[in-house]
Amino acid sequence: MAPSLSDDTRIAVEIRGLVVQGTLDAARERFAELVVIHQRRAMRIAYQYLHDAAEADEAVQDAFVKAFGHIESYREAWPFEVWFTRILINGCLDRRKSRLRRARWFVSTDVAHVSENARPAFGGTAALDPESRLLARERRARLAAAVDRLDGRQRTIFMMSHYGDCTPREVGAIMGLKESTVRVHLFRAARKLRGLLGGQP
Amino acid sequence: MTFRARHLQEDGLFECYLAEHCGEPLEPPAAEHLTDCAECRARYGDLRRFMDALRTEADSELDEIFPPERQRAQQQQIARRVEHVGHHARVISFPGRQPGLPAPGATSRVAHHWLGVAAAAGLVIGVGLGTGYYSLAPSRARQAVVSHSIADPVEAPALATEPIVVPALVTDVNEQFLSELELALERPHTSELLALDELTPHVREVRVQLR
Repeated sequence: MAPSLSDDTRIAVEIRGLVVQGTLDAARERFAELVVIHQRRAMRIAYQYLHDAAEADEAVQDAFVKAFGHIESYREAWPFEVWFTRILINGCLDRRKSRLRRARWFVSTDVAHVSENARPAFGGTAALDPESRLLARERRARLAAAVDRLDGRQRTIFMMSHYGDCTPREVGAIMGLKESTVRVHLFRAARKLRGLLGGQP
Repeated sequence: MTFRARHLQEDGLFECYLAEHCGEPLEPPAAEHLTDCAECRARYGDLRRFMDALRTEADSELDEIFPPERQRAQQQQIARRVEHVGHHARVISFPGRQPGLPAPGATSRVAHHWLGVAAAAGLVIGVGLGTGYYSLAPSRARQAVVSHSIADPVEAPALATEPIVVPALVTDVNEQFLSELELALERPHTSELLALDELTPHVREVRVQLR
């Protein structure tokens, strides 16, 4: 018996069918549902990678547009979530790379500086008093700096698992790694973070 | 006498956390040990609090930077961008037209056909005129040489060499340029220009006509 498909995977399969039939308007309508389902999670992952609200927004948009453009190549062997997360993370990694290249020549790569400057893009911290806001900002800058100190693979695996809600098996599928390897990386990432943050995020 | 299992290692505790996080059942020995051992339960509690705090922090940060109105705006932007997926590139209409009025090109599809016909006619006329011009050129050149040979020695001997030397130089440059064009046309990567080449007079033909 074939395993039952998750809601998003079922929708993605329907969209693929509609695109193949050439009924693009109907496909777009259905795709809007997928956007609603994955938007927040995608934004969380992208923001944790990029620490810049506007850039994360662009990365998420690009990932969705790319997913729609290549929906014909999607296969339901893996949940849509896994496929989409892979697209998103590849996009985020590309952006990080190009940002580092730019930063090498033009600006400082200080994470605290980046996240502090990045925030006002969409506003939204009005509910907190200035002191709490400052403390939260410092805490997050410290956390971001710690996550940035994880090595590339560890960071990606940690992001996908912890912020992207992917299981170790799904992360393995995305990264082309064994599930046991993913678990080891996750454990090491968590241990390193605890060490860097002194057990307190 | 009961034996208590050894304390759980860090990786064992993390496996428990992962299982709980992914909604999977804990390994029975580890689950039993956590029930029995207060020390490991406390360590597990610390780990879980730390990991949950990371996630909570990320969520609250996301709520701040990505409020619902921003989410809606993003959905609309994605929808707009997805609209263009699968469409061929469009030619943007020239600005200046009133929004309510139909585009000049849209008034009649016949106009598109006329545009093609006019372009083809223009090309044919151009080629025809060019050929005609070059076929008449030798007689004009001869007339110019004759007129100079009669008038120049009498009125302005100093300028007598000018009409002879400069056109020769220009002709040489032109010929060189046209020869280069011909050579370029013979290269394989310009094969798509061969049809156009057939419509245009070649240097060698012009040269023969000039002689």
